[in-house]
Amino acid sequence: MLTRRLVLAGLTAAAFGLAAMPALAQSADPLRLAFIPQENPEKLLGDVEVIIGWLSDRLEMPVEGFVTFDHAAAVEALRNGDADISFMGALPFVLAEDQIGAVPLLSEVYRGAPSYAGRIFVRRDSGIESLADLRGRDIAFADPISESGYLYPLDLFVRDGLIADAEDARNFFGNSFFAGGYQQAMQAMANGLVDAAGASQYADLFLSPEQQADVMVLGESEQIPSHAVIARPDLDPDLQARFVEVMLSLNEAENRPMLAYLFGPDGYAPADPAAYEGVRELARRYGYLR
Amino acid sequence: MKQLLLAIALGVLATGANATAIAEAPWLPRAAAYRLTLFFGNLTPVPWDLLEQSWQQPVDGVAPAHSAISRLSEDDRSAITDALQSRDRNMLFEAATQVVSHGIISHLDAAEVALGTPQAAADLDAAGALYRAFEDGIAAADPEASRRLGLAWLRLASALGSDGLNGVGAIPANVQDFAAARAAISDYLTANYLPEEFAPRDRLSSAPETAILNGVTFDIPTRLPPGTNIADQSPLPRLVLQFEEAGLDEADLPLVAFGDMLFDSPEIFGGPARDLGIACSTCHNRSDVNRDFFIPGLSAHAGGMDVDGSFFNPLFNDLADDHLDTPSLRGIRFTAPYGRDGREASLRRFTRNVIVTEFAGAEPSDFQLDALVAYMRQFDFLPNPQIDAQGNLTDLASEAALRGEVLFNTGFDGMNGNSCASCHTPERNFRDGLTHNLGTAAAPFLGGTPIHFDTPTLRNINFTAPYMHDGSLPTLASVVDWFDSEFALGLEEAQRADLTAYLQAVGDGEDPYQIFEGRESEFRLAWEELTTFASTLNTLLPMQDDDSIALLVATVAPDLRADASVMVNQAAKTQVYALADLLDAVGTASADGNWQLAGERWQAFEAMQAEIDERMY
Repeated sequence: MLTRRLVLAGLTAAAFGLAAMPALAQSADPLRLAFIPQENPEKLLGDVEVIIGWLSDRLEMPVEGFVTFDHAAAVEALRNGDADISFMGALPFVLAEDQIGAVPLLSEVYRGAPSYAGRIFVRRDSGIESLADLRGRDIAFADPISESGYLYPLDLFVRDGLIADAEDARNFFGNSFFAGGYQQAMQAMANGLVDAAGASQYADLFLSPEQQADVMVLGESEQIPSHAVIARPDLDPDLQARFVEVMLSLNEAENRPMLAYLFGPDGYAPADPAAYEGVRELARRYGYLR
Repeated sequence: MKQLLLAIALGVLATGANATAIAEAPWLPRAAAYRLTLFFGNLTPVPWDLLEQSWQQPVDGVAPAHSAISRLSEDDRSAITDALQSRDRNMLFEAATQVVSHGIISHLDAAEVALGTPQAAADLDAAGALYRAFEDGIAAADPEASRRLGLAWLRLASALGSDGLNGVGAIPANVQDFAAARAAISDYLTANYLPEEFAPRDRLSSAPETAILNGVTFDIPTRLPPGTNIADQSPLPRLVLQFEEAGLDEADLPLVAFGDMLFDSPEIFGGPARDLGIACSTCHNRSDVNRDFFIPGLSAHAGGMDVDGSFFNPLFNDLADDHLDTPSLRGIRFTAPYGRDGREASLRRFTRNVIVTEFAGAEPSDFQLDALVAYMRQFDFLPNPQIDAQGNLTDLASEAALRGEVLFNTGFDGMNGNSCASCHTPERNFRDGLTHNLGTAAAPFLGGTPIHFDTPTLRNINFTAPYMHDGSLPTLASVVDWFDSEFALGLEEAQRADLTAYLQAVGDGEDPYQIFEGRESEFRLAWEELTTFASTLNTLLPMQDDDSIALLVATVAPDLRADASVMVNQAAKTQVYALADLLDAVGTASADGNWQLAGERWQAFEAMQAEIDERMY
């Protein structure tokens, strides 16, 4: 039974079962997938319905999907067995790995790589030419539990010797905001509410085409493992392997349209646990991991 | 990263005058109903049936998909219902404004109460999504408040804090900051959107009431309502240009290239069409149609609209709700007369009619009309090996189609002994160049004469559904059924199927859609088009034609920048911006009469174009 905390407000009827396969539904426990909302939870609900139908067909077993409030709720669902698998960013994954032993199954692929970067964006006409120029200026980050929308962009300032740590950022910036997402942070910057935004490499695509032409990249982090699909540690290894196999079939031409229902990556690659070492190290340095 | 798809799916409609339109983020039902109220309320005549639907039914472009009225308080619901029943435009505007204001304020209040829980973020999201309904009005009429409130929303988001992940990375909510920012927004809304009494107004807008009362002059950018889709059809139709198939390069045909540019340019239109970036190609994608095009209140269904209503050119408003299905322009040199009612024998005159009367553009120059016509006369049909040069079926056609061909050429008593082929003459591209009254339009008054409509070609019609002048029939089979019923042809079911198979055979075409793959990307197509348009500067600069250069630059430079947003090779995006800047510099020098500098900038453009061409995908 899902707790209220696990399910997005107003969407308590959002657990989709697969009615088309009654025989299987009676004979097997469903595979339960947790989805974390991005900018548009209502669209995600429709997407979940489509993708779990497809997965159920391919896995030949019932699949259920539900949308959680946030990463924390998804991790809690994995911990208590309400969810078997969840979609998750690299930073929350390494925290989930630490807290409940979650295992990475797949990595999203964008532009041919299972990795991306965090960036600092400014307006082209701002006169700001370096990270140092942002001293005393206002910045918007996406979310505190975000690798590309907070920790990695923030770390650029540490690496340049401008701040010592997250706490010291208060002394460096004028105002620092968590805008609630990439799009909000980028819009705040593009509309002149703040001087800079810390967000994903691809976050300028949240702006209108005209706004995109008006912004520039001030700094870019090292590559970060892309968002992952993770499982609770005690999920049947055979089922994990079957799930990975089916998900990798999304890379085949005939299945690629389904990617649009899964946060829209270009494809999936098998996860490499070692690839997250940089994220773990950064999370330790900022006190997120012991 | 996960939001990459959403970046595309949830983008905002381009507000500048360029031809790149991207999908709009869904609206909350109440915000959508408010925006539809503004849009429909400004049409003449006001479409009250659509206004009722806007509030009482789930509308396109909203999420979640429930009706706006279903989630209102008793008082708000009564106010909306009373206004709809009274058919009082201003009364509905006031009620709608109050609905949105109440929604924002109550969600903000709820968020404050729930601060420290996930529900606070959900309520704040809902409040922000409703505020979107007012945002453009505040930005245009009260920019200082727009910035102040924008910062307040940012402070609200930040003040929510974060639970982190099981405590890790947690940030406590900032109760004081939240309360102060909430109060700033609520107070402004109360003063500007919940006044004791609204000032009378001719035009409905989202502008704040104090700006109206103070007589502030402002200009809110034209916006289309929720549910609009003016982005290109997907999949994009394939364009067949006669010269191109014959192996010639458009860059060597400057008149055609300039016409191609004009076909993609909102600059030749006026009023809302120009502001919205609507061009000929918006409705006529790649010489064919845009079957996805839809504007609520103007389109009865996707793929067309009422072109003589009050929105685009009030002067041309015929006060009638008469949606027209967008015709394909494939083979247009062979399909005179023009207009669904065949009112113009000349493509040139009809083109002028579209620019000036339908879309409120300035009178086009002879050169512009020459260029547009030169370009459009290159549109050919998609090749179709199932018919020969005389329009007869070939061996590639099915048995059913061959049986249908006999029926197509058979005279029927119900059609005064005429056959389908009498009007859709196979050897004349399946049309006769005449207009006919088939009873598809009502007479304008009792005893009056109904409009006659042009016989459309049947070539490539497999890709232009729906059918008839008003798009009232969804399939070719339904067209056959309609003729069978309307003219008492007495066809058996199998005969109707054969006739449909025949229509599908003559209506077919090879490779109907543009395929994008790898480096042959959507941007690559735009890049090649736009740089070809720019190549007409090789002709215009020696002519020192500053007007045409200004038009070209105003069309191509913004489009280059806008289209860069869909590049596969995002790393090369800044180079496209630099190239667009060079084109702007050509325009500036031309406008200044500095022809030497204009020439130098153009040479720099060509050099850079060649240098970066490899990376342009």
